[in-house]
Amino acid sequence: MNLALRQTGALGRRALIRTMRVPQAWVPSLFFPLMLMAIFSGSFAQAPGMIPGFPEVAGFLDFIIAGTILQAVLIAGTSGGAAFAADIEGGFFDRLVSSPASRLALIGGRITANIVIGVAFAAFFITVAMIFGARISGGVPGLLLTFVFTVFLAAAAGGLGVTLALRSGSAEAAQGAFPLFFALMFFSSAFFPRETMDGWFKTVADLNPVSYVVEGMRVPIAGTGDASDALLGLVIVIGLAAISIVATLRSLDRRLKGDL
Amino acid sequence: MNDASVEANGLVREFKGDVRAVDGVSLSVPAGQIYGFLGPNGAGKSTIIRILTTLLSPTAGSATVGGHDVVKEADAVRHKIGVALQDAAIDPFMTGRELLRLQGVLHGLSRNETRKRGERLLERVDLVDAADRRVGTYSGGMRRRLDLALALIHEPQVLFLDEPTTGLDPISRHTLWNEVRRLNRETGTTVFLTTQYLEEADELANRVAIIAQGRIVADGTPTDLKAEIGQPTLSITVSRDQLDDARTTMARFGAPAPNGDSGLSIQLPDGAAGVAGVVRALDEAGVTATGLDLSEPSLDDVFMAKTGKRMEADEVTAS
Repeated sequence: MNLALRQTGALGRRALIRTMRVPQAWVPSLFFPLMLMAIFSGSFAQAPGMIPGFPEVAGFLDFIIAGTILQAVLIAGTSGGAAFAADIEGGFFDRLVSSPASRLALIGGRITANIVIGVAFAAFFITVAMIFGARISGGVPGLLLTFVFTVFLAAAAGGLGVTLALRSGSAEAAQGAFPLFFALMFFSSAFFPRETMDGWFKTVADLNPVSYVVEGMRVPIAGTGDASDALLGLVIVIGLAAISIVATLRSLDRRLKGDL
Repeated sequence: MNDASVEANGLVREFKGDVRAVDGVSLSVPAGQIYGFLGPNGAGKSTIIRILTTLLSPTAGSATVGGHDVVKEADAVRHKIGVALQDAAIDPFMTGRELLRLQGVLHGLSRNETRKRGERLLERVDLVDAADRRVGTYSGGMRRRLDLALALIHEPQVLFLDEPTTGLDPISRHTLWNEVRRLNRETGTTVFLTTQYLEEADELANRVAIIAQGRIVADGTPTDLKAEIGQPTLSITVSRDQLDDARTTMARFGAPAPNGDSGLSIQLPDGAAGVAGVVRALDEAGVTATGLDLSEPSLDDVFMAKTGKRMEADEVTAS
């Protein structure tokens, strides 16, 4: 078990090193969310006080931090999946499989790296937002809870990326998950509250589990909702991570059996 | 426990669409041998090596490596084998030393052990100076040498090399051959290699299996294989006025065939040992041979005899 952990750590480290050395692999995950954060918080600066039903927050910037972290973590999940698929295409994955390394470490390394990247991104966005005047309403405990959310969110997104990589074996196909992530994110309450939505869009956002995760995350960051919202979000994000990792393990099993 | 043999029994592997990449392959490689698997592209070599290295399960048949079943005891097999697969699958963004360290952990070596063995291997494959450079900057030969070092970090009993020198220049190729030979000689590591180069199989392998369309069509030492399909050919060159005398003399040993306008060739039934007799007879008949050439049948001739096709086309473009 100790060895499996060491192997997961070593493969996670390698995934991190590789990500850092290929700026294309991480710059977009920072750049696009940062841009959206700037555009939305600029465009809707007055929205919280003016739009009836908008949750009570200190500012739109405070409101949008959770959605920004979500977006970065989802993009990082896609990149991670693409990198994993590139390992399969290039044969690096075969090197791992033909070694006696723990089968769990084969996927654990990548997912661990995604979690580390996710937490680093969350810290980055929170820092930037704070520089521009945002406050974390939950203080230090709130910050820690935000990181807990980020860990499970990154595990869920990372697992989904790796699952697609294992199933397709192609970096292009794994990259193709991007629109799916995008839809999950925009048809949710990641950037606007469900209170201001209506019609079919609201129905979709109501059904989208991402809405509850983001809303849960906003509790410690922006002080919206209450403890039950935070708990619901946490339960859902842990559930998503569990489903995602089970799917990853099953895909790994199928690939190792040669069914894929 | 120190069994380092490779055995396969009736291996079959089918892919989607009823493609039989491997069609009933049985083989037996005793410990300590360098076994060459020779065949053109698409003959099924890589599929077999993937089965033997636990990357692919066979559709039918069984195989053991180091005494362990490749399907049921895959993990035990993985502990015993070192693998360097085609495409030299090494991450171009990592340095040689980083990859060696990672490979050590994957095989469960301690950090200390990995470092010690890693440095020794880097020295051995002459990559000490390049160890901290990203692999992306390496030449083809350097990559293959690193790949070999990676496959050796845990001192495997059986080493699998899938087309280790494809695409390499002749000098890099010879360097790698020497390294493989030395390893085999010094540690007794069994080496199972696939190749599409006749010369590689001939020079490096103690035993060669020729594979075509998923089946082994011939199996033996390079010398035996060549002997099996024919005798060596002796060609002589004489001055034109002695041609008739030479023909009469040589006819006692075989059927002389003209070779150019002042040369003759015969197949020597007793092999190379028969050369002396022919030369003596020519001398007694007063014929002076100005040129003498003995040519063995090549593995390509063996391939031709067994499959009706030549392998040469690949050889020319690749070397």
